[in-house]
Amino acid sequence: MRNLLHDMNPSVKFILITLSMLAIAFFFNPWTPFLFWVSIILLQLTMSRTKWKLWLLFMLPFSIGAFGYLWTTVVFGADTGGTVIWSFAGLDVTDEQWARALSLAFRVMAFSTLSLLFAFTTDPVKFILSLMQQLKLSPKLAYGVMVGYQFLPVMKDEFIQIQQAQRLRGAKMQKHSWQRLLSMRQVLIPMLAGAVRKAERSAFAMEARGFTGEPRSAFYRPIRIGRIDILMSGVFLVILFVSCAGGSWLS
Amino acid sequence: MLKSWKLKEVVLMSLFAVVFGIVYLLFVHAANIWAAVIGPLAYEWMFGIWFIVSIICMYIIRKPGAAFMSETMAAAIEVLIGNAMGPRLILSGVIQGLGAEAAFALTGYKHFNILVLMLAGIGSAVFSFIYGYFISGYAALDPSFVALMFTIRVLSGAIIAGIGGKYIGDALLATGSLRGYAIARAKKGDVNA
Repeated sequence: MRNLLHDMNPSVKFILITLSMLAIAFFFNPWTPFLFWVSIILLQLTMSRTKWKLWLLFMLPFSIGAFGYLWTTVVFGADTGGTVIWSFAGLDVTDEQWARALSLAFRVMAFSTLSLLFAFTTDPVKFILSLMQQLKLSPKLAYGVMVGYQFLPVMKDEFIQIQQAQRLRGAKMQKHSWQRLLSMRQVLIPMLAGAVRKAERSAFAMEARGFTGEPRSAFYRPIRIGRIDILMSGVFLVILFVSCAGGSWLS
Repeated sequence: MLKSWKLKEVVLMSLFAVVFGIVYLLFVHAANIWAAVIGPLAYEWMFGIWFIVSIICMYIIRKPGAAFMSETMAAAIEVLIGNAMGPRLILSGVIQGLGAEAAFALTGYKHFNILVLMLAGIGSAVFSFIYGYFISGYAALDPSFVALMFTIRVLSGAIIAGIGGKYIGDALLATGSLRGYAIARAKKGDVNA
């Protein structure tokens, strides 16, 4: 049971999540995104091995963002009519407006939860392999992305190295974080120049070992679509249908 | 489309996608915190940053698809790193990339001057706004507020992505590491090589 979300085919999961998002975006009542949000959390609670502390940490900025959506929609919302439920500092808030604001805020929460579900239950390398095998992504692109992904730790080291080298030569560190953001190009240009050289070297190495990038039918690590995927697709579609129908009925 | 691509160009895009994927994520987090204070408007003025990789890659590689694929790759890398935006980033990456690509396609992939690059930034801004209008429910907001958001996003696309992209591309060319790519050949006046 706790493996179900982890064992799903990543492409199937990806398509289901994208579909659900597009469907939810059609609804402006507060209940649909709310029901969907709760069900996705329940789904992840019962069918995955998530580290919930980390999950909460990731969720935090999005909760803050959702709050931003809530109040802007209340203040800058389109005129929708409806009865005034409360006034604040000369601002009348109608029930319709409040419902819409709640809906958008819950939408942010629902989408973030859905995205976290994917992030917490999907192995990145399997995802790329699956994109290549199930969704026919060109191997040239798929392996290109994988090369980039494997270079991540190297890039991190390089970033620190460049910074240290610059400090060694007496380049001043900016005090404020926003100043540091603006002086990013000091580090960005050497990083990119290094990336260009790495790209050339690794492409050369790949070609020297016989990588052509031609589409193929046999794979070293096959990723398959199985019964779990059919089952889980059913679960996702039921959740989606219940939130859409239930949300429209409740409001 | 990929037939005419050299492997080193594909890998170059991917590595740029990694660098900018990280930059993008940093800005997503910064913007999210901003957004609590000033609402969705917080994202608008920095939107151009999220279009920049497509413009830099197209400026360097100059082949059909460079803008679209690099932006999609950057989104994919952001998903691979693991973040809370998840798969929907890929969709927005595809759409932003298509916007920039459309601008380059309109000019027949022949001109890569500052105006075309700014147009590409605007293309991304317009495409992403249409998508955002739908997915984030801007229809629920006041039309004049939406118009303000749109204007800021277009300006941000043109200035940060267009001008900023050219600036970074030129700075990179000056380092001499881009020999062997279309941008260096074009500088020598040998455009079609």
